Amino acid sequence: MNRRTPRRTTALVVRLLLLTAGALVMVTPFLYLLGISFTPNAFVLTTPPQFIPESPTLDNYAQALEAQDIPRAFLNSLVVAIVSTALSLLLSSMMAFAFARFVFPLKETIFRILLVGLMIPAVLLLIPQFVLAKHLDLLDSYAGLVVFYVAGSLALNTFLLRGFFESIPAELDQAMELDGAGVWTRYWRLTLPLAKPGLATATIFTFLGVWDEFTWALTILNDPEIRTLPIAIRLLAGVGNNAVQWGVVFAASAIAVIPVVVVFLVFQRYFVQGLTAGAVKG
Amino acid sequence: MKRPIRSVAVGAAGTALALALAACGGAPADTGGPVTITFWGSYGNGGNSAQQEVLNDTLIPAFEEANPGIQVEYVDVPYDDLLQKLTTSAAGDELPDLVRADLGWVPRFAELGVLVPLSEVMPDFQELADATYPGVLATNLYDGEYYGLPLDTNTRVLITNPDALAAAGWDAPPATFDEFLELGDDLDGTGFTLFADGGLGAWNLMPWIWSGGGDIADEGLTTSSGVLDSDENIATVQMLVDLYQEGRASSGLIGNAGAVSTSEGLPGGQYATIFDGPWMNGIWESQFADFAPIYSPIPAGDGGSVSVVGGEDIVLTASSEHQEAALEFIRFTQTEEFQLALVPTGQLTVIKALGEQQVELVPYYEVFTRQLETAKNRLAITRASEVDSILNAELVPAFEGTVSVEEALRNAAAKIDELLG
Amino acid sequence: MTSSLTASPRAASAARGGARRRIPVAPYLFLAPGVILFGATILYPITQAVQMSFFDWKIVGSAASEFLGLDNYVRAFQDEQFWLSFGNTVFYLAATIFPQIMLGLLVALLLHAHSPARPLFRVLYYLPVVTSWVVVSLLFRFLFADAGLVNFVLGDLFHLTDGSTSWLADRWTGMIAISALGIWKGVGWSMMIFLAALQGVPRTLEEAALVDGANAVQRFRAVTVPAIRAALAFVTIMLVIGGFNVFISVYLMTGGGPAGETDVLLTYMYYQAFGNLDFGYGAAIAVILTLLVFALSVLQLRLFRDRDGAGVAG
Repeated sequence: MNRRTPRRTTALVVRLLLLTAGALVMVTPFLYLLGISFTPNAFVLTTPPQFIPESPTLDNYAQALEAQDIPRAFLNSLVVAIVSTALSLLLSSMMAFAFARFVFPLKETIFRILLVGLMIPAVLLLIPQFVLAKHLDLLDSYAGLVVFYVAGSLALNTFLLRGFFESIPAELDQAMELDGAGVWTRYWRLTLPLAKPGLATATIFTFLGVWDEFTWALTILNDPEIRTLPIAIRLLAGVGNNAVQWGVVFAASAIAVIPVVVVFLVFQRYFVQGLTAGAVKG
Repeated sequence: MKRPIRSVAVGAAGTALALALAACGGAPADTGGPVTITFWGSYGNGGNSAQQEVLNDTLIPAFEEANPGIQVEYVDVPYDDLLQKLTTSAAGDELPDLVRADLGWVPRFAELGVLVPLSEVMPDFQELADATYPGVLATNLYDGEYYGLPLDTNTRVLITNPDALAAAGWDAPPATFDEFLELGDDLDGTGFTLFADGGLGAWNLMPWIWSGGGDIADEGLTTSSGVLDSDENIATVQMLVDLYQEGRASSGLIGNAGAVSTSEGLPGGQYATIFDGPWMNGIWESQFADFAPIYSPIPAGDGGSVSVVGGEDIVLTASSEHQEAALEFIRFTQTEEFQLALVPTGQLTVIKALGEQQVELVPYYEVFTRQLETAKNRLAITRASEVDSILNAELVPAFEGTVSVEEALRNAAAKIDELLG
Repeated sequence: MTSSLTASPRAASAARGGARRRIPVAPYLFLAPGVILFGATILYPITQAVQMSFFDWKIVGSAASEFLGLDNYVRAFQDEQFWLSFGNTVFYLAATIFPQIMLGLLVALLLHAHSPARPLFRVLYYLPVVTSWVVVSLLFRFLFADAGLVNFVLGDLFHLTDGSTSWLADRWTGMIAISALGIWKGVGWSMMIFLAALQGVPRTLEEAALVDGANAVQRFRAVTVPAIRAALAFVTIMLVIGGFNVFISVYLMTGGGPAGETDVLLTYMYYQAFGNLDFGYGAAIAVILTLLVFALSVLQLRLFRDRDGAGVAG
């Protein structure tokens, strides 16, 4: 075992170097964004580019907060994203469970149809969905956002979770069934806890997608009180391409990124724990 | 006007619908309790909330006080997305009562039959219309009826960086095409690019075309061939192509999204001149406080100094349930009170008689006000947006040197013919 | 709930061809809420959109729309700009999918072996994914501007170019810039999926392989590849779907310019539908795109399943 140590150390160093180089590429544009959000507008496009502004200012943040009701929009987005994510995960994990654990007529046909929902460009459905939302009396409401966000994320989550559920050994399921556990118990008590990495992944994707969604929200919402964050940011971004106040836009963007990073930090620990592997051992 | 059968049919249907609604919708609204009319627009864009504040805090309260029983709810929509939202809402019959529409959109929505022809339902329409600039009013005309009234207007003038003039040893901006080209020679070696713009659409190109003595279509809007590819236009566009190929015009002209934008490049010392509107001052005031731009008329060619009309119209939708109340608000937008309140926030008035007062309020508007007197409207057709794509698609190759200017203009004219015919 | 028997895919494939069980109720109950919602709010609008593609569809008073049959489709195949957009879309797919998979897998493997500061790296790689498309598109337009960071780094820092490339002024350099954004934003996403899948590899298995003296490559092939096969299928299919649906980045970085040279299928479709109000034609373009993606995805699912025999999703 002793011989191994130096080689392991070299491997570790190489690995760290690679990871750091990659991380640098990932983060640089982002640091640039942060830098600009603290830069007075006149100095935004300078050569060489400045990452740390010479005379940093909070003006951009102040202007963003003043021009739009950012806290309110932030709260609206948060409520809509949390409710949509929770509902979407419940419905799609149930569907994924059915696909992963049962054999039944029309199974693959239903699954394929679901996949079509994944492929169709959302913008094509804008008008039919708008007319539908009108008839369901869902325009200009949180419910109108949630219903269509949940529906829109079902296909992706079901697809994703089905793979995760299928990778859980069926023997566990069968053992539990022999103990007399019902279907719901096996879904709720066995499959869901074992698929936590998958559920965490789906949570992050769904939350992210909803948090970021712009077109639908813009189309069905009128009341400024229930505006979501992407609309508020877009309202800041200005007319045409000539008048973009980058500092203000990036300041608002920086505010918008925070909750997603938090969600990610909270849910990513499930990857660390390696729950599935642990369960197999036990 | 151009697509006879269909548009007439739709227009007629729209008119009938509007009249029916006006007949049955007007009366109960007046006798009933307070009505709320909704109004969509893009006053509050770009983190600059000055216009929206004047509207929400001053103008709407003043209107509501003068008209008890009517409340106005203004909804701010991002400019770039307003068209999509309007289109979708039209499909779902969910339009608001009033819209502040870009003047290029009026014919298209009129064709869809979702607008009320104001010239038909407003007894006092002619009186109101006569007070406005004809070039702006014309943007509301579709199929013989006016579907809106001008709300605010703007136009492009020549804006020059004083440092560039100093560097070239000039004391006034160029007034003619020839002077403009001379300035280019004198700027060699100073680091200034003579001219910058953000594309080759009608908004960008027409001031050159008209000032050069040309046009894009004949007066009756029947053909572009023989007009757009005239000798005058070939000379004018060739002048721009030469400037571009000599490096004297920015690559933003051919649609390079990575070129330094005109709003940054002019005060930043990259560009000597640009064409732009009255709103630029507001942007520069906050970001480039020391910059003192010089405003002057578009350089004159054989056709004189002729610029392009921009701005917004206010339109009433056919689905409005409170048409009388909405019309009352439209009348309010044509008053001195409304028009002048928005002047300091970067909006030019559409009322001819207010031009003098406007210049007293904001002195640098003088050039814009004068330029507006001769400024022309772009093609008022339902498919105006396609004209821009055609101009860009056909002319960019000429700027890149792969086809001749004459050929490019001839191709563009042939395609525009299809939109007219 | 009645306990009609559950059959895992493996059990199912073992029993395949055997006696058919009675039709179970449970799976339908599990499917019902989701399927009903999906059918009402996605599937029904899809059928309407497909209908539009057969008409010169009018957004108001659509009853009066003129039926065109397949004319919109024929028009697409004869439309130069359609083919140009199609070519650009294929370029984007070719340029982004492979790097996203390889880099994502590489980072996942590097992180999976116990690295110090693993949570930190995970967050850093994931930052682009969690940042809104609108924001990163504007940001990249900024980075690839004539006076932007990319030219500065390539020209002034590394002297690889003369630093005066007008990235967004030309079809191919524009597509390269757009693809660079796609890769940058997507690596963290595929990394996440691979990481989650790698968590499913039993450590005992890896250790056993190690004890057997398998080298890294052998271990990768024997232990890792089977474990991530489902994830690989998922990532590939999602990237193909995402690649065909590339829209916001193009819309905001170049707007399809100069003169439509960097249009992709969806920007062209959007322009036709909302710019020209030609919804029938726009819908036809979108339907062609969907059919193409669907065919490719089914093909991919087949491919992945045939190689494995076991049940990959689908």
